[in-house]
Amino acid sequence: MGVSKEQVESALRSKLSPSHIEVIDTSGGCGASFQVEIVSEEFEGKRLLERHRMVNGALVEEMKDIHALSITKALTPDQWKIKQQESAASQPPSTTTAA
Amino acid sequence: MHGMRFSTSVPNDPDTHDDFKPTNKLENSQLTLKDIVEQDVKDNHVMIYMKGDPEQPRCGFSSLAVRVLSEYRVPIHSRNILEDPELKNAVKSFSMWPTFPQIFINGEFIGGSDIILNMHQNGELKEKIKATPSE
Repeated sequence: MGVSKEQVESALRSKLSPSHIEVIDTSGGCGASFQVEIVSEEFEGKRLLERHRMVNGALVEEMKDIHALSITKALTPDQWKIKQQESAASQPPSTTTAA
Repeated sequence: MHGMRFSTSVPNDPDTHDDFKPTNKLENSQLTLKDIVEQDVKDNHVMIYMKGDPEQPRCGFSSLAVRVLSEYRVPIHSRNILEDPELKNAVKSFSMWPTFPQIFINGEFIGGSDIILNMHQNGELKEKIKATPSE
């Protein structure tokens, strides 16, 4: 049994009060793998490892049914603003993530 | 132990000849799995617990992590957690991290594939690996 995108989103919303969140079901709808992009003030002053631990911690229950969770962004609101300005300044974001 | 959903132990069967007994390369000493993980990360500058092995990763995330680490041309030590569910659980509770791959550099838990990729892109990974004392 999978988890819904909404469940993941609401768990993250209630525990990390993000100013931006995007959850993508990358399992083609069966709810087994997700990609998360999250911006929260609570990440302030924390290393990436800590931020990922916070996300994992918020999803402890859901993780029992999720096989893969990719946290592509875990940013503070300031970092997010900078990122957005960068991508607005350049042409359509050229992602170089490996296929 | 909580979270132990699998067991690799097999009840003793007097009819079984020694040659046919299940073997487990991690079982032939008094070490607990936690000791083995501790030893792994202490002894190996770059240690990865993954699905499959570096030559043949069995998961896209493990594959990505291996590809990133390979860029640095340093020896990568690995264990395939698919072969041993108990080791898998031991690693998870050691690092308090729920997913694989898991990468340790110089005894320090670094994270999973997202973190490795991120640190590769921003140059932090190079520093981590460079800081590794040579043997």
